[in-house]
Amino acid sequence: MSGNVLLEVKDLKKDFGDHAVLRGISTRICQGEVVAIIGPSGCGKSTFLRSLNLLEAPTGGSVIFEGNEITAPGTDVNKIRQKIGMVFQQFNLFANLTIEDNITLAPVKLGLMDKEQAQKRAKELLGRVGLPDKADAYPAMLSGGQKQRIAIARSLAMNPDVMLFDEPTSALDPEMVGEVLELMKELAADGMTMVVVTHEMGFAREVATRVMFIDEGVICEENTPREFFEHPGNQRLQEFLSKVL
Amino acid sequence: MQNFIDEFTLNFIEKNRYQYIAEGFINTMIISLFAVLVGIAIGFLVAIIRSSHDKTGHMKAANFICRIYLTVMRGTPTMIQLLIIYYVIFATVNIPKVFVAVVAFGLNSGAYVAEIVRSGIMSVDEGQFEAGRSLGLNYRQTMQFIIMPQAFKNVLPALGNEFIVLLKETSISGYIGLTDLTHGGDIIRGITFSAFMPLIAVALIYLLLVTGLSWCVNKLERRLRVNER
Ligand SMILES: Nc1ncnc2c1ncn2[C@@H]1O[C@H](COP(=O)(O)OP(=O)(O)O)[C@@H](O)[C@H]1O
Ligand SMILES: [Mg+2]
Repeated sequence: MSGNVLLEVKDLKKDFGDHAVLRGISTRICQGEVVAIIGPSGCGKSTFLRSLNLLEAPTGGSVIFEGNEITAPGTDVNKIRQKIGMVFQQFNLFANLTIEDNITLAPVKLGLMDKEQAQKRAKELLGRVGLPDKADAYPAMLSGGQKQRIAIARSLAMNPDVMLFDEPTSALDPEMVGEVLELMKELAADGMTMVVVTHEMGFAREVATRVMFIDEGVICEENTPREFFEHPGNQRLQEFLSKVL
Repeated sequence: MQNFIDEFTLNFIEKNRYQYIAEGFINTMIISLFAVLVGIAIGFLVAIIRSSHDKTGHMKAANFICRIYLTVMRGTPTMIQLLIIYYVIFATVNIPKVFVAVVAFGLNSGAYVAEIVRSGIMSVDEGQFEAGRSLGLNYRQTMQFIIMPQAFKNVLPALGNEFIVLLKETSISGYIGLTDLTHGGDIIRGITFSAFMPLIAVALIYLLLVTGLSWCVNKLERRLRVNER
């Protein structure tokens, strides 16, 4: 739990109209941490995660990434997002592009690599996620598990400092959940800082360095996985765990 | 049979009357082609302004102007628009009628293209946009490389249909005294007093053009569809 603070969230609030979804969230995420976020559906987990890369604009509080307050006016969000990878529940691979182009598009268009470098990197990443022969395929030709592994490769191509996962296995057929979780486990072992919204309690218990329970727009409890699952203090967390475990 | 040959000779061969149809055909082609280009340019511009406004809340003034344009163009008959542009807007300047027709049909078509393209942009899943932005691509890059190519593919059949409608709609060009295909056939009818030959000939030419256009659109559509399974 030591190391540099990568992301600091101070009293983060988000309203949709008069619906207060996030009601003051504060936490710090350090380099190399794997934070699992759990909580009942609709409690604001996605909204919280999406506030970290400003896909949602917070209505209060602040987010500080690598020492810069990214919620401050005038922040170049595009620059910030290059360093914050995001993996979605629905994969969101670019349907009009081949797998290779999915991976190379952003690094090339943002001028981080030339085409050749990016293709070489895409090849490496495809090997890493176990899909070396899919470079020329289109997303529609892949299974859900394969799509999600490509989505992770696409994120990795930007060399992000932190990766956000929003229920990365929730849209998958059960037999494909394992391959994605396995890949995420490897990323964690390689030291990637990760924030993962998930319903996979096994993953939270085994891979996470910290588990966070959000309910009604606030963090009700956060702790090491061991303490979190064995000695949950918060009553709503106890109820939640009794339902999902 | 002899009757048919006589009729044919009277309407097309004698005094080179076929030239009315040839001239009309060329004008119809020129008007349609350039009006389509104008329509695409205006249509995409308006669609991008409108959907950017809906997505980001920016460009309020431009969006307002676009909405007035769409309301007027889609709320009045094309023929009235053509007449107003010829007799009112270009009344005092001496401009080739073909140019007037290109402007009128291009402006008109642009309104329909705009709404087609806008619906195409809206039909692309929001997740595609978010994935682009989350990688650090800016709004324009995301639109250009991810959203527009998919939107274009989605609306290609509708766009093809719009161009077929446009081609047929140019047949009202005769109302500003322009010899388009329809008017060319009608001139022959006025001279020879036989309706069948010139009108059927004109109809057949339109039919061939439309069929050819449909074929091209289908082919392009199939080429773009290769991406999917
Ligand atoms: N764009 C939006 N507009 C209005 N309400 C929203 C929007 N996004 C999310 N919400 C609401 O915010 C609440 C939290 O949503 P979300 O963060 O997606 O929950 P979770 O991911 O924990 O299931 C829900 O009640 C949802 O209806
Ligand atoms: Mg969610």
